[in-house]
Amino acid sequence: MGPSQTLINLDKADFGYGGRSVVCVEKLALARGSCLGIFGPNGSGKTTLVRGITGLLTPMAGHVVHEPHRGAVEQGTVAYQQPASMRIGYLPQHRNIELHWPMTALDAASLAISARRFFGWIGPRTKDVLNMMRRLKIDAFAHRPFASLSGGQQQRVLLAGALAGDPTVLVLDEPTEGLDVRSTQELLDLLRDFIAEGLATMIISHEADDLMQVAGEIAWLHPAAQYGDPSTVEIVTPEALGQRILQAARRVG
Amino acid sequence: MKRLFSALVIGLVIAIGATRASAQTTRPVDKADQATQDILKELESTPVSSGSTTAPSSPPAISSTRFEDEIVHIHWGRLVDQFKFMLMTAGALGCASAVLGLFVLLRREALVALAIPQVVAVGVAIGMRFEINTLPPALGVALVTLIYFALSRRWGAANWIIPSFYVAGMCLSFLIIANHGQEVEDLQRRFAGVDVAVAPSQALIAIPILLAVGAICALLWRRWLLFAQAPAAAELAGLRPARWDTLFLVLLTIATLLGTDSLGVVMVLSMLFLPAATVLPWVRRIPAAMAAGAILSLVYLAIGFYFSNLENWPLSQSVGGAGFIMLAISQLAAQLKS
Repeated sequence: MGPSQTLINLDKADFGYGGRSVVCVEKLALARGSCLGIFGPNGSGKTTLVRGITGLLTPMAGHVVHEPHRGAVEQGTVAYQQPASMRIGYLPQHRNIELHWPMTALDAASLAISARRFFGWIGPRTKDVLNMMRRLKIDAFAHRPFASLSGGQQQRVLLAGALAGDPTVLVLDEPTEGLDVRSTQELLDLLRDFIAEGLATMIISHEADDLMQVAGEIAWLHPAAQYGDPSTVEIVTPEALGQRILQAARRVG
Repeated sequence: MKRLFSALVIGLVIAIGATRASAQTTRPVDKADQATQDILKELESTPVSSGSTTAPSSPPAISSTRFEDEIVHIHWGRLVDQFKFMLMTAGALGCASAVLGLFVLLRREALVALAIPQVVAVGVAIGMRFEINTLPPALGVALVTLIYFALSRRWGAANWIIPSFYVAGMCLSFLIIANHGQEVEDLQRRFAGVDVAVAPSQALIAIPILLAVGAICALLWRRWLLFAQAPAAAELAGLRPARWDTLFLVLLTIATLLGTDSLGVVMVLSMLFLPAATVLPWVRRIPAAMAAGAILSLVYLAIGFYFSNLENWPLSQSVGGAGFIMLAISQLAAQLKS
């Protein structure tokens, strides 16, 4: 993999809040057309790690580089050529969507684009959202109330919205949680297509099976044995993750 | 649930019917009570043109009921003219509050909306106590409260601090002017929303600001939607949710402040909650909800104004009562439809 394909680089980065380190990473890279799984138990620091990788959290030590970047990189910084130059899309958990808001599927799919528009007005970009909904075969639902759609349809609508913003990197937060087997498979198939087209993705998930299907590498967070110490991150292949889970299952019984 | 709503609506209709009936049976002279007496006196002293159909120069033999009807007919034009500043301010408050109220309900910030008018009343009381314009101290108290609300959210203590402010506002506002008979009465009037009157100077300040606040809140509807549904996506796009939350609170406080200072707490709360809650079961999109809420607030105002004059009821309570009946009917109909 050439250096021009790398989008995000982390080196000895330490992330935390209020002076307390939550998670530390020795080395991690995200390249165009790759998928990084973020796997670990509750409270291990998955969200903190993603906030660090995406630049929302400044490292306490080490550094994060968002390419393209020139010049020296200072410790304890996020280095980039321009602030927020990297378009990072985000797919929220469909379970976290507040369904009591009156909105159509098109309104829900327009969320990501509206975030980058003045006053949130999407105007001509509605066409992009509709095109992406068409590609994901959900354009028929565009004017239906979002709350009336099934979980799988809702997740596809949100995915269409996140992709319509033409992101460089897409972060997916527990994308398959609450979905049935068929909807899960359809979603993972869609993701594979977009990854093959060059989209860099990060998937936060508890589901090792799902990660093993799409992720090229998995950042496995191990909570510290002693309370107060940071979690450590081990980069493993999907096969290695599968074998170790299998071994652990055999040990348990 | 459906039965509960049915019972609620039937109960309200019966209660209003009973009130009207008792007003007619127990107060036979009340139809010509103070307000009507004033009009009668005014009519007697006003020269009438010979061609007038509403007030002939020599009264023909007509029944007293028809005569009263004609008085009431004349009454409306004059009443609207007499109360035009109050009506315009209430209309502007209604439009702004219907939009803000929609997001207050959707963002589950009703407690904040309830607490702010009580806190604003503390500033009003300070103004009354020291016999100065009530708006600047109300503004000062509102700003301090806003900062404290924002901090309490950051500390994760908002759930118990905000209700405490509600109680503190109710208590302190009266303690500040305790033993000052006239001021206490004035403040009670502001709280209860009885006999609201708006001076032209007050209306000139309040109306454009209220309309601007409503318009800003409406234009930013996609922002409020984004922060409710995907705050992380907003952060990744470089937006700061805390700042936008504060902006929403500022808009809400401005509307509440101006509304409380000119029309009283009951009117503010009625306009904030009832139109939005009435339209929510029927709309698919936020822009439709905002437009319907704003129109409905004007309808409530018109109904409230009509009944307040017809039945000699306080205006704010009439608006609130009309709004609540419409809300109950709307909820019942929505339940039946679903």
